[in-house]
Amino acid sequence: MDVSRGASHSEAAPSTGTTIVACTYKGGVVFGADGRVSIGNYIMNRASNKIAPLSEYIFLCRSGSAPDTQIISDNVRHYLHQASAESGEEPSVLMAANLVRLLNYNNKDHLVGAMLVVGWDKHAGGQVYGVPISGTLAKEKWAIDGSGSSYIWGYCDSEFKEDMTREEAENWVKEALALAMTRDASSGGTIRMYTLDGAGVHHTYIPGDQVPQFVGDLPFPTGNPGGAVLGSAAREGGMVIG
Amino acid sequence: MSIFSYNGAAIVAMAGKECVAIGSDLRFGVQMQTITCDTPKVFKIHDKLYLGLSGLLTDAQTLHQKLMFRHNLYKLREERDMKPSTFGHMLSNALYERRFGPYFAAPVVAGLEPDGTPFLCGMDTIGAIETAKDFMITGTSPESLYGMCESMWRPDMEPDELFETVAQCLMSGFDRDALAGWGAVIHVITKDKVISRTLKTRMD
Repeated sequence: MDVSRGASHSEAAPSTGTTIVACTYKGGVVFGADGRVSIGNYIMNRASNKIAPLSEYIFLCRSGSAPDTQIISDNVRHYLHQASAESGEEPSVLMAANLVRLLNYNNKDHLVGAMLVVGWDKHAGGQVYGVPISGTLAKEKWAIDGSGSSYIWGYCDSEFKEDMTREEAENWVKEALALAMTRDASSGGTIRMYTLDGAGVHHTYIPGDQVPQFVGDLPFPTGNPGGAVLGSAAREGGMVIG
Repeated sequence: MSIFSYNGAAIVAMAGKECVAIGSDLRFGVQMQTITCDTPKVFKIHDKLYLGLSGLLTDAQTLHQKLMFRHNLYKLREERDMKPSTFGHMLSNALYERRFGPYFAAPVVAGLEPDGTPFLCGMDTIGAIETAKDFMITGTSPESLYGMCESMWRPDMEPDELFETVAQCLMSGFDRDALAGWGAVIHVITKDKVISRTLKTRMD
């Protein structure tokens, strides 16, 4: 009776079909990710952490291939640690973003990682860098990535404002993630959100039942797939075939 | 992606004490995009017979329409509703007629025979029929659904208990499936009425 053998666990690679969102606000950065890791249509982890720390105030939001992005984050964390040991200073977000970008660019035939490097440093405050697949680097005021991001470009474009307050920025990130999680089957589960404002790292974990919902009470489904269309045509006196 | 996981579905049917329950999720999607969350995959044939269809939604809809057509003609000729066991075999035959160009839909039939005994059967896409005394499932995440049903089913459940069990098996089953969920509907069929309830679930 098994009718769903395609894209099953034995064939598909684990992917963080994901939504990741980051933005700058007046005073720092807010960023977040959903929690779903899927293999084909099987949800392997429904509360995963897709935000990897690269240093105390620099984070990597991961989307794309789960193992590829984990390796990239491990490597860059190691390089940054070495670099800050040699310089005696906290690493800069730009350096971290460039390291991620170089890994993506120099291994573009093998790696599939679409990531955001987000952090706070004393040179330039809060920064958001987009590092998509193949190795571009783009400094942006806000950035989104992952499969779920397709559904929220409109929302993000229209709702983003420069110099938001911390609360406005956190709401923007949370709503964007919740909207994407509603529409994208490969995003969902939980929301993890971080705020960096120079004073420290504030982590918010939103469990599945507290994620904002956008689908209200629906009417009882009629369960009449072709019937609704045919029924209304018949009522209007038109000929119904079938 | 396989044709069977193009749309996504989760359907569970269980037998209780002189009652049956059948439920499905409400998601309609195209591969990874969710389009609506008010599309049940369980259809009523008559008061004591419900049909659940997973797989490609267009084939599920067409198969449902063709079966309604055949049942309507049967009712006109026989002047009674079709027994669930008869319906199951008719469906199996209808699917095998298309052996080399099948409907990409896998059905689950749940109903009460005229004497009140529960009837459950399921088929693959070309009509291999299997009846069961406990439960029948189909969908894009069969392992999750089997696991839940196998653990939670007990014989002789009353209608309310049966509803609870089907609800929990369906919800926990499709919470691990990216292609099914976004609400659920469950019908509990007893000898004098059918109680249909929708469940509010996580919408991701």
